[in-house]
Amino acid sequence: MSVEVPRAVAFSAPRPSLFAGLRRLPKGVLVLAFILCVLILPPAFFLFNVSFHVSNPDGTLGALTLKHYSALFTERFFLPSLVNTIVYSLGTAIVALVFGITQALIVERTNAPGREWVFLGAIIALGIPNVLHVVSWLLLLGRAGPVNSALAATMGPEYMIHVYSMWGMIVIEGMNFVPLVFLLMSAVLKSQDASFEEASMMSGGRPLRTFWSISIRMGMPGILALLLLVFIRAFESFEVPALVGLAGNINVLTTNIYQSTRGQGFPRYGEAGAYSVCLLVIVIGLIYLYNRLSRNAHKYQSITGKGYRPRVIDLGPMKWVGTTVLVVTFLLVTGLPIIILVFASLQPFYEGVSAGSFGRWTLENYILLHDAKSFHDAIGNTLIMGAATATAVVPLTALCAWMAARRSPGAWILDQLATAPLVFPAIVMGIAFLYVFVSLPVALYGTLLSVIIASTSRYLPYGMRYAYAGVLQIHRELEDASASSGAGQLMTFFRIVVPLLAPALISGWLFVFLLSVQAVSLPLLLVGPGSEIVAVTLFDLWQNGQVTELAAMGVVWIALMTMVSSIFYYVTRRFQIS
Amino acid sequence: MIRTDAGRLSRSTAFALLTACAVAGGVCAQTSDPILLYEGPDREQRLLEGARKEGQVVIYSAMIVNQALRPLLDSFNKKYPGVRASYWRGDSEDIAAKLAAESRARNLGVDVVEGTGVGELVIQGGLVQPFFTPEIKSIPENLRDPRQLWVPTRLSYFSIAYNTRLVPPDRVPKTFEDLLDPQWKGKISWRIGSSSGTPLFITNLRMAWGEDKAMAYFRKLADQKIVNFGSGSARTLVDRVVAGEYPIALNIFAHHPIISAAKGAPVNSQLMNPVATTTATAAIPKGVRRPHAALLLVDFIISKEGQELLSKADYFPVRPDVAPRAELASVVPTKAGVRENLVLPEHLGKYGDSSEKIYQDLFR
Repeated sequence: MSVEVPRAVAFSAPRPSLFAGLRRLPKGVLVLAFILCVLILPPAFFLFNVSFHVSNPDGTLGALTLKHYSALFTERFFLPSLVNTIVYSLGTAIVALVFGITQALIVERTNAPGREWVFLGAIIALGIPNVLHVVSWLLLLGRAGPVNSALAATMGPEYMIHVYSMWGMIVIEGMNFVPLVFLLMSAVLKSQDASFEEASMMSGGRPLRTFWSISIRMGMPGILALLLLVFIRAFESFEVPALVGLAGNINVLTTNIYQSTRGQGFPRYGEAGAYSVCLLVIVIGLIYLYNRLSRNAHKYQSITGKGYRPRVIDLGPMKWVGTTVLVVTFLLVTGLPIIILVFASLQPFYEGVSAGSFGRWTLENYILLHDAKSFHDAIGNTLIMGAATATAVVPLTALCAWMAARRSPGAWILDQLATAPLVFPAIVMGIAFLYVFVSLPVALYGTLLSVIIASTSRYLPYGMRYAYAGVLQIHRELEDASASSGAGQLMTFFRIVVPLLAPALISGWLFVFLLSVQAVSLPLLLVGPGSEIVAVTLFDLWQNGQVTELAAMGVVWIALMTMVSSIFYYVTRRFQIS
Repeated sequence: MIRTDAGRLSRSTAFALLTACAVAGGVCAQTSDPILLYEGPDREQRLLEGARKEGQVVIYSAMIVNQALRPLLDSFNKKYPGVRASYWRGDSEDIAAKLAAESRARNLGVDVVEGTGVGELVIQGGLVQPFFTPEIKSIPENLRDPRQLWVPTRLSYFSIAYNTRLVPPDRVPKTFEDLLDPQWKGKISWRIGSSSGTPLFITNLRMAWGEDKAMAYFRKLADQKIVNFGSGSARTLVDRVVAGEYPIALNIFAHHPIISAAKGAPVNSQLMNPVATTTATAAIPKGVRRPHAALLLVDFIISKEGQELLSKADYFPVRPDVAPRAELASVVPTKAGVRENLVLPEHLGKYGDSSEKIYQDLFR
């Protein structure tokens, strides 16, 4: 049998020499690396440049300097912020992974009733724009929110919770990432051979033990990648630290920089740039470490030549416990935030959930939305932009992930390149691409195409992680069989790898689509008159409108995204793609 | 592709650019178009002819789109069918960043910029040029820029917002000193991260009181442990006051609580002597491609017709001959009998950095 059950992740594999590899790069790797460079170098170059130069009052860059770096480390809040950032990022990753992986295990491996609905729940959650997600959690847990009202009424006001705290930040950001973890993890599990789990169960292993010692361990490369992904995203996140942390006087590094640079005059990107550069170095180190850890990833490959479709474990009466877990997670991640948004959208103003608030309902917010022409104009552009971005990202990253996972000479660089945009702050990427497009001799500036190019760069890392998790599970022997039957590399990729990867790629497409259509900071400066997209309209409302209007727009947006996702799923099922 | 400094352009590149400019018929000429300062009797006629040839005009504005910007441009399009007006909406900082990028790349897409913080940013950056509009004579003297780099477009009055359930009528702080009462410790919030946030609050008192008195006050205010509201607009902060998160918020737009209160929300605003008054400004960038249409649009925004449209969208007009909405009159300082302190773009430019430093030193 070609599959071993991993015991521990070993470091014994010899380290390939980087330079020896560079000299003999295959053509495929070179072409892919070139495409990635075109997408990534502009923001990277801008980031380095801005971090090493003085910013002038007119937004141009002046003399060379290291002061942004020294400011970063000598700032009086640096150390406490660093500690907070680490606690916050780790906490977030743990919350997201615990909930997401549990969900994925129950859905992919058990017969808990109702599990097929979890996908829909996760996709609806992904359709909630980030800003709205945070707002809805603050409406829920804030001083006037229903949770605190209930606590104060039943146990007394001293038991009221204070959401503007570290745990508040961790819970809110953690919940934000649960759908991502769930979808990625279920892509891993889907393509992971379940016969080991069956063997464990037959040998008398209880479901929990089986999950712990078989499923989790076999999915380890994927889980580690996820941990890294969520950790990095939390490390550079801004919304939750700003909306939740600052109000409780908790500073993390991103809000620290924001406070030092964004008070007055032209926004200065020097320190933000320096921070991203430092983060980039750390991430490169982490990915290197990750690659070493997953060097023996072939041990985890379980899609082999024999029938591999995973089977379901019968939980017996325990299955209802599984369902309960799913329902609770759904409520936390998707249900409650949407319920509170719907509630707020039907109120003339939001003053918590009280007896009084049930006496006043209004459709005014929706009527206002109905008259909002800018919203209607933007829908078409937004759908085109999201679809084009996803269509560009998914095949590109699938190829990269495959080459990287198969350790084509030098292909490690593809993973590094495609992951780099993860650490570029969206706003800095927006500015960087603005400068690129405005300087190009071709008239790209202000067009939808420019937004698509920038989004493709931004969402490469997500496509990469999706594809990578999937590729790791496919055993090489299938490709070897293809090769020995005379197929070339590309042929093998399209005839063997792509069909096996299809479920992961399809979920990845939808995922990138849903993320890219809600981005605000990136497209804001790139769109021009006539190429507006919905998220920018949403931002306008966020800046100028009332929270009830914002909620109404959010509800309509979520409904629209749910519709798009459902159609997508229906079509793919119909044609038996997944 | 990204130049670090315009001055570092190599000579050959500069030459190539100049040649390209010459070939393109002076499209990116940086010299001021004489029409911008033209005051002759046939100005209107010349603008109409020029604008028709230019065919369109683009404004970058911070106004709210559906209630203000679109109705305004729709009316403009109806009035001047030969000129198609379109917009891009962003915050003042974004508008300035976009203009700076276009200006450096000599690829100007915008003809008019408009916003509350825009004026000071684009003037500091040297990105705009003087222009004349006959409508300026209908605008009060103290709202005119002697350098003619900007015209005012809409006024904003700043006050505190308070939750009427959490702050009973007899305890509402009426003066800045009242905010120092120990009962408000930890219960006041203000908005950081924007020039119309903390820097404006601090600048206002420094201008009105002088440095010593203002500093003494800020030290005491810092003891109140003001909550730094980090992300989201002034409107968002008022919504938090409505929801009871914070009993009091400083330096918010005075009309926002009034609009919410009209719907029954437990919130109100309280003007304090002196009220910080700011004006949004419109400016025309250097190297503007469609100067005639740009002037037509600026004329229109501050005309009686344009100001009436903005007034309907809850903005405060800059023309004395246009009344603000009756419901909002209570927060107009002159009508409420409270002294106002006009904080113009040049004041924010002059005081902004040092006010920001006061915030950094005392309130972080």
